[in-house]
Amino acid sequence: MNLDDAAGVDGLGQETGPSAAGVDGLGRETGPSENGVRRSEMRTTRSQRLGRLALHAALIGFSVLMVAPFFAMLLVSLVPQQAFLAREFGLDQWTLSNYRETFRIVPFGRFYLNSAIVSVTVTVVQILISSLAAFAFARLRFRGRDAIFVLYLATLMIPFPVTVIPNFLIIKNLGWYDSYRALIVPALFSVFSTFLLRQYYRTLPMDLDEAARMDGASSLRIWAQIVLPLSGPVLAALAIFVFQGVWNDFLWPLVVTSSETMRTIPVGLAAFVGQYSTAWGLLMAGAVIALLPVLVIYIIAQKWFVQGITLSGMGGR
Amino acid sequence: MKIHRRSVLVLLTLIALLALSACAPPATPVAPPAAEPPAATDQPATTDQTTAEQPAAAAVTLTWALWGSPEEVVSHQRVADAFMAEHPEIKIEIWNQPWDDYFTKIQALWASGDTALIPDIAFLWPTPRYAAEGVLENLDSFIEQSGYNLDDYWPGLLESAKYQGSVYGFPRDIEVNVLYYNKDLFDAAGLAYPDETWTWDELTAAAEALTVPGERYGLAMEGGKFSKWLNQNGGAILDDYVNPSKCMLAEPASVEAVAFFADLMNKGYAMRPADLGQAGGDQAVFIADQAAMIIQNTSRVSGFNQAGKAYDVAVVPIPEGGQRWNAAGGAAWVMSAGSDAKDAAWTFLSWLQSTEGGEQVYTAAGEIFPALQSTANSPAFMTDQAPANKQAIIDEAAASGVGGFGYFPEWGELDGSVIGPGMDLIWSGEADPATALPALCEQVDAFLASYGYPK
Amino acid sequence: MSLPPAPRRSLFRWRPDQQWEGYLFLLPSLLGFAVFVILAVTMSLGISFTSWGLTGFRAFVGLDNYRALLRDPVFWQAVRNTAFYLVTIVPMQLALGLAMALALNQGLRATGVYRLIYFMPVVTTVVAGAIVFRLLLSNNGLINVWIQHFAQFTGLPVTPPNWLGSTRYARWAVVILTLWKNTGFTMVIYLAALQGVPRELTDAARVDGAGGWQRLRHVTLPMISSTTFFLFVYQAIGAFQLFTEPFVMTRGGPANSSLSVVQYIYLAAFRDIRMDKAAAMAWFLFIFIFAFTLIQNRLQRRWVYYETE
Repeated sequence: MNLDDAAGVDGLGQETGPSAAGVDGLGRETGPSENGVRRSEMRTTRSQRLGRLALHAALIGFSVLMVAPFFAMLLVSLVPQQAFLAREFGLDQWTLSNYRETFRIVPFGRFYLNSAIVSVTVTVVQILISSLAAFAFARLRFRGRDAIFVLYLATLMIPFPVTVIPNFLIIKNLGWYDSYRALIVPALFSVFSTFLLRQYYRTLPMDLDEAARMDGASSLRIWAQIVLPLSGPVLAALAIFVFQGVWNDFLWPLVVTSSETMRTIPVGLAAFVGQYSTAWGLLMAGAVIALLPVLVIYIIAQKWFVQGITLSGMGGR
Repeated sequence: MKIHRRSVLVLLTLIALLALSACAPPATPVAPPAAEPPAATDQPATTDQTTAEQPAAAAVTLTWALWGSPEEVVSHQRVADAFMAEHPEIKIEIWNQPWDDYFTKIQALWASGDTALIPDIAFLWPTPRYAAEGVLENLDSFIEQSGYNLDDYWPGLLESAKYQGSVYGFPRDIEVNVLYYNKDLFDAAGLAYPDETWTWDELTAAAEALTVPGERYGLAMEGGKFSKWLNQNGGAILDDYVNPSKCMLAEPASVEAVAFFADLMNKGYAMRPADLGQAGGDQAVFIADQAAMIIQNTSRVSGFNQAGKAYDVAVVPIPEGGQRWNAAGGAAWVMSAGSDAKDAAWTFLSWLQSTEGGEQVYTAAGEIFPALQSTANSPAFMTDQAPANKQAIIDEAAASGVGGFGYFPEWGELDGSVIGPGMDLIWSGEADPATALPALCEQVDAFLASYGYPK
Repeated sequence: MSLPPAPRRSLFRWRPDQQWEGYLFLLPSLLGFAVFVILAVTMSLGISFTSWGLTGFRAFVGLDNYRALLRDPVFWQAVRNTAFYLVTIVPMQLALGLAMALALNQGLRATGVYRLIYFMPVVTTVVAGAIVFRLLLSNNGLINVWIQHFAQFTGLPVTPPNWLGSTRYARWAVVILTLWKNTGFTMVIYLAALQGVPRELTDAARVDGAGGWQRLRHVTLPMISSTTFFLFVYQAIGAFQLFTEPFVMTRGGPANSSLSVVQYIYLAAFRDIRMDKAAAMAWFLFIFIFAFTLIQNRLQRRWVYYETE
């Protein structure tokens, strides 16, 4: 197995070498603005207009399918159980009682706090640690470097379930069970983030480093003052990718927390489902409470979300 | 680039705001659930005059693990308060989880080996599995020293909390499944109320008469309770529930019993368990008049009384020539082997399991049918609240015996992964008992063999 | 397996002065890697050869756990279910995502709005999605009501299925949830790839008289084949590790009909306290994924087109 195979197996390594295309793709391709240019190029004939209409119809159809669950969630959360059972969703039935009740039963504020603490810490520290390592892999020359990198890559293949049990035992033995440490520390080290940043750092011209070294700059300084500033978009993309991954993670927090005060949003929500399996109004209110802030942030910053997930999802291409 | 930076700024601001706003409500995150009385940790019961004589330093804190809905926790708290009033030297802290998560979580606590985390007294089911793992305290010596009376328990009940002949826990209650019936619906249909003379035939006839297709079922019962039919008919799941060697589900008496229940569903008289789950469980469908009869333990009483249903209970009808039978089992209070205050834990445990103590509080609250016969026959149970026919519950309890579930450590896995899913197929109408049960039995036997049973 | 740390470029040389620096930069990462990856993997492998319960190590048992799994019908049921998820979710998701991306790539008005909507489920937590779909897919839920209307309207003999209560459909319920949740992701990545396809190519094909379908088949699809390959492998690995969806929505039932392998691993480890069995299953899963990706990596040479080659 060589470097390219190891990566290729994971589907990420079409271009493990320096790839200018990846860099260019960053800020540009995903914005909706580009479509405006194309639109103006189009000559509109009758058949094209019809075709576009059909296309819109299809797109709206998809949209309805995608939005319907959110809509159902909101609607059911707004009516009392009796109205729901009678299938009466009229405006006169609307009330916030489900929300009040849900907040009374479930400490969603606490779940939010936990999710925010864990996600922010993990995102910041993971990217810092990964960036340092990626810098070493990409821009420093030392013995054992490639061997270690191959080892890193090889573990990208290992599915999470393989490590979840031993990591649970490790956490337990460290006495970290049911604490922020259990939620945060294991997630601080990501082979994937390291790999992604390393790929990017390799595309930056080596001459920059050499010139800086001539001027007497240390490696740390090169990392902090040359490489980091140049990788802003990648870091932001990766940050969003990591953040939403940690925010939505379910299995690990489920396994290492036990008290209600340590639950994150998804785990808290799932426990709520376990307790109130068919109190649909309450459950939907819980789901809305869990989703609303994230959705609002997403809608405001959607371009960044899409870009972040596209880039990171594609391994930095 | 400018745009990007601004978006990042917006995003970060939002995240910060989010974090702040999340911070805001629980302003004192150190003491989050305000449910507990603030008579807090280090200086217990300074409010109580009796403590004056006792050295405050002797205070012991016991962690008491249990599952329950918020309403149930209220009555657990009442029990803890009653105990602490009698024993000011011991402080009880409740550790509560929803049922779905409870077992996973408590296992993790035991596995942690950290005495600060390990609950001293826990609510548990099934006891033998955990006893086999060595996490539970053998109670034999405590029982012997204190002369605690084991004969007061219903027949067969303690078996569910024994492992290799030793007692590892005390069942808090006994699950007594009785027939709840909606009097209004019976009256409307012009039917006589069920009594102890009813057989399966009368039950079937009543279920048929009460069924309104698309609107109401005659009967609703959780699939997991099917062993009642088996044992009434002389069938069984296993030949031996402690050290099994063979699956008995394919025996004619068992097949007949399963087919009886499956037929009720296939004919549309009884609600399929999967549909029952989706409809919110038997309590919900009974209150909503979607089922005229349910078979369930006594935990439904308070709900039906609250809802003001006109209902009563009766013994569960038996087959012609069959026997009344109830699976003796109930979740038990156990003591952790890793407890750091075993004597205090025993004090609490034996108090919980006495007619003067916890048993009476729970029973009087209408939450349980007590594990102790003396409590059942005390005023705590014999109240004038509904249901009127309390004798039916006592009759079923007196017919309790071993069976219905295994008393060996791997039962949970066998039931959860093999038997339960196998029965699902029959209850959903996708498989026929006569052919499905022998196939299921082969799997059960293979499972038993793979764990080296019989031992 | 040969591991050639051979330098890519002949210019490359080791810098002795960067020797210690390199490790210093790596240190934080290596530390975590050593504990939570290397140690964890080693432990996992070790545990799979032992008898390991709630109180830890009991005995070495060699390959017993693996042998027991080969005979465990529930495990194979979970494997079959997971295979089902693989062969349904992956192609459906690719096809749907591509269709959406193609439609969005036509330069229509309001493209941004559509994309915003399609991507919304991707940023939501699966648990919330599972709750809603439990409601939508319940016996008299919205979806069945629609099916009933549809049947009445068209006169077709369609009866609404019992999605969550029958062994035939519970798996489909999981598939539906997963498609809703993840198709937006596929769509967005496809869209990025489509925007990278040079317009000159499709225009040239148009001039040559190629119809829409032909342009798609012979120009666009080959140009984005590397993305298809990536998505294929990525989604497949996701399908192999499906957990939250069946865990929250169906609890694996009825009759284990929607139980996934990872869910069974979870149950073995944390319900049955069989860390040993769970570890062995995790390694089986690893072998499946490894074999799958290896095969795909071989096959891709036949159909994936890279610009650089």
